Amino acid sequence: MKEVRTDMRFLILMYVLAFILLWEWLLPVIELTDTEYIAVFLYFIGISFLFGLLRMRWWLSIPLKLIYLLWSLHYVFFETAILSRETVSLLITDLMSNIGIIAAWNWESITNPFRTVLFFVLLWMTIYLIRHWIEVRKSILLFYAMTVIFIAVLDTFSSYSAEGAIFRIMVSGLLLIGLLTISRISDRHGRKLGTGMFAAFSLPLLFAVVCSSAFASIMPDRGPSWADPVPFLKSVVRGEGLGSGSFVAKSGYDTDDSKLGGAFSQDSTVVFSATVPKKQYWKIETKNTYTSKGWEQQSDESMPVNIDPGSLLAFSGADLHEETEFLHAEINMKQQLPYLVYPYGTSKIHTRTDVVLQNQEETGQFWVMKDGEETELDSFGIDLVEQNYSLKALRATSMDDYALESVDFSEYLQLPEQLPDRVRELALAITGKEESVYEKAKSIERYFARNGFMYDQQNVAVPKGNEDYVDQFLFDTKRGYCDNFSTSMVVMLRASDIPARWVKGFAPGEGKTNSQGKMEYQVTNNEAHSWVEAYIPGFGWMPFEPTIGFSNMTGIEYDLELDMSDPEAPDMEERERPETDRTETPAKNDEDNGIIAFFNKMDKFLRENAWVGFAGLAVILFIAWQVYKHRGRWIPKLLINAYRKRQADWVTYTKQYKGLLKQLDRFGFKRTNSMTLSEYAKTVDTHFGGRRMRMLTEAYERGLYGGYTSHDDWAGLQEMWEDLINRSSC
Amino acid sequence: MTHAQVIDKVLANIDKVMIGKRDIAELSLTALLAGGHVLLEDVPGVGKTMMVKALAKSIGASFKRIQFTPDLLPSDVLGVSIYNPREMEFEFRPGPIVGNIVLADEINRTSPKTQAALLESMEESSVTVDGETIRIPQPFFVMATQNPIEYEGTYPLPEAQLDRFLFKLKMGYPKRSEEIEVLSRAEKSVPIDHLETVLTIQELAELQHAVKEVTVDHTIKTYIVDCTSETRTNPHVYLGVSPRGSLALMKSCQAYALIKGRTYVTPDDVKYLAPFVFGHRMILRSEAKYEGITSNEIVDRILTRVSVPIDRVGLK
Repeated sequence: MKEVRTDMRFLILMYVLAFILLWEWLLPVIELTDTEYIAVFLYFIGISFLFGLLRMRWWLSIPLKLIYLLWSLHYVFFETAILSRETVSLLITDLMSNIGIIAAWNWESITNPFRTVLFFVLLWMTIYLIRHWIEVRKSILLFYAMTVIFIAVLDTFSSYSAEGAIFRIMVSGLLLIGLLTISRISDRHGRKLGTGMFAAFSLPLLFAVVCSSAFASIMPDRGPSWADPVPFLKSVVRGEGLGSGSFVAKSGYDTDDSKLGGAFSQDSTVVFSATVPKKQYWKIETKNTYTSKGWEQQSDESMPVNIDPGSLLAFSGADLHEETEFLHAEINMKQQLPYLVYPYGTSKIHTRTDVVLQNQEETGQFWVMKDGEETELDSFGIDLVEQNYSLKALRATSMDDYALESVDFSEYLQLPEQLPDRVRELALAITGKEESVYEKAKSIERYFARNGFMYDQQNVAVPKGNEDYVDQFLFDTKRGYCDNFSTSMVVMLRASDIPARWVKGFAPGEGKTNSQGKMEYQVTNNEAHSWVEAYIPGFGWMPFEPTIGFSNMTGIEYDLELDMSDPEAPDMEERERPETDRTETPAKNDEDNGIIAFFNKMDKFLRENAWVGFAGLAVILFIAWQVYKHRGRWIPKLLINAYRKRQADWVTYTKQYKGLLKQLDRFGFKRTNSMTLSEYAKTVDTHFGGRRMRMLTEAYERGLYGGYTSHDDWAGLQEMWEDLINRSSC
Repeated sequence: MTHAQVIDKVLANIDKVMIGKRDIAELSLTALLAGGHVLLEDVPGVGKTMMVKALAKSIGASFKRIQFTPDLLPSDVLGVSIYNPREMEFEFRPGPIVGNIVLADEINRTSPKTQAALLESMEESSVTVDGETIRIPQPFFVMATQNPIEYEGTYPLPEAQLDRFLFKLKMGYPKRSEEIEVLSRAEKSVPIDHLETVLTIQELAELQHAVKEVTVDHTIKTYIVDCTSETRTNPHVYLGVSPRGSLALMKSCQAYALIKGRTYVTPDDVKYLAPFVFGHRMILRSEAKYEGITSNEIVDRILTRVSVPIDRVGLK
């Protein structure tokens, strides 16, 4: 695209309009896929267009974009320090596992970071195409048509409402097409329009666009003359699935889990909405007994505990003190549930004052009593503390630590007698390699995503006769939804002697910014979910998320690197090193920590002040661009100073001469490859007068072609060279 | 006196009789110094003979002229052995080819047999008659002419044999002012009669020796070969320039560099001489001929495509 030169202001306008169109593509994608980080993608589009405008060379722009891409991945997905070993290894593992997944054509299991990389690549290609359409083809009708079709289809078939979008697309798209057409016509006639002329030509276009859009928005909206095609299409697509009713169809939250399996039917009725700053898993209860067909709660039901609304809960886990900052969640029930939903880290529950809360500690159920009878709440508030675990401490846990805990785990290690042995064997094979309790649990959690399991809500088997629900899923079907994954993980944890229980509740739901600018999550029956809690010694019950496609919300502090300097830290490598090395190691560690700490600080600062970061980056880029653009002005001065200090000889002279060639090229004397140096020198001398370039060239040619690397008058050459390079500074 | 000064004297001498033909004079001298021969393709009367005569007279060499006709026999060119009754033996009478500077006029008029005799003696610098080989004295320089406008009764030289000639040149008409100058000079007397000899044959041999000393850098050799191989891959060319062509180009570049007072060859020399060396060594495809593309145009195109080496970086 280098050859094409168009008026800069015109190009900027074109790119801004194209940016708006591309933005409209992103909006629904972001909204429908529930991606929070639209800005990350918008900045990417922005810098891509900006680099295009600045005519940045590929060897500069591609690395910059890649750096941005990596940074975005890190910003969105990894909590680790930038550039740390942890991040790199996470990235590499992710990449490797995804290559495996792609090789197996298992597209649905691609992890989120990789999905994001692919999305970035798609954006990159799209931007390249758009630039081609604007600058070379000068025609963007195809892209415009695709945008309209895309938005229209989404508006019809998904929950996305394109009312504003279609208007914005119309205005910006028509302007883009119209202006490009004017530019194309002027090109075809081989003349460049002045700004005034261009404005004159654009006026009718502007008039037409403004009028038509004004009319479009003023005119009354007539209802659709066709019936909504969506229900019909849905019935055609689903026709077969509905016919076979032999499965146990399940939908939403259900207290009876004694028979698991069968299709999960979609039901997008909103159960509750929650206003909370961060995504939360909404827990309702846990179950302890696996029956090989499903789950039951079996125990001598201990007496429920009464809790006053607003008081601190005993089991909140985190060590609370006065300065503890609570996150506040506000829950509005749309459908009634038998128990309250609550996020992890719940410390206080605020309800109306005329009720009493009751809590069954074993199952984690909360319910509300009023005057001795169960009642229901329309809304309530929850204060929660964010749960953070130290990875280092988690990795230090050992199976022996269970002996130190005063809890009776027998009910959480229960397994049905008829559980096939191969389940236990598999569990031990997965966890056997790991040392710590946490790593054992993690290895099971990871197992499903890496071994060809599929997330499927429809074709899910029901165990019959003697079949075991977990065994069937792990070895035969490998297909299922949350219940399959979570139950299997609990069973395998128990088979590995790790106390575990099955948790029911709701996934975070779809987040939107509400009118007060807060994040509000709509949780529907589709979000009904189940997951796993394992007891980690020293930490208590910790949630795990084995289901493919869901991500665990547990806050893990990746603090391994930072603790390197901690003398208490158990460092096996260090212990094994010979004595002589010990003296040097601390210094190196300090240095490492210094760099890592610096990046951590930078990272933290950038996370908190993203705008400052971007503005800074923009300023730096602009300055760099200006310096690069005006290099013709400062490079000669630099070269003159540099070469005055050097010894005058042939080697120096060749460098000087080549520097002069480059400078003359920047000045505007283009030398084609087939031009000899003396031909070039002639054209240069014709412009500047005199014979300086010819004499310099002769000296160079004598050396290069004749091998005469000595010269009588280096000083004279130096003088001519300085004179020429000065004159050619631009 | 340096080589350059000697050469300048010769050129200045030729300039006295040849007006505005400095380039042809230089090229002829280049061919002479490089030990090659020249084919002049031009209409009669533009000064071909005068050029050769002036060159011959300037270097004090013997000048012979052969006018080729359809009935000319090889022996008319090479010479014959005649029986000498007094000595009772055959005596060889050398033909006009045995001379220092030979003008072979309109060689395309004679039969291929005679052409072959000429070309062979040019190549070998010797004459073989009745099994007896006689070396032609050095310097030996043939300037052949060929009339491009007449086709009736001509025997065009086979293209494969054309590469016996180092250069193929065109003289062209003089400019208006130059032609007027030609008239003024010839008004009173014949200028060629007053031309002095400025170079002895001995000195010429020294110059020819000096040509071999001119440096051809590796970059230049690469450049020459790049150009040559381009002729072989060009879609318009049926038969490209042979390695003999590359060699001819290099040798003429050495001679030309000496004429220009340099002891090394530059890419400019290559670019300047390539059309004269390559032009008659390529056979074009008939499609190209129908389109009116000439070999010189193709050489020009090739020269605008091959990169000139301007440093040693990246050289293989």
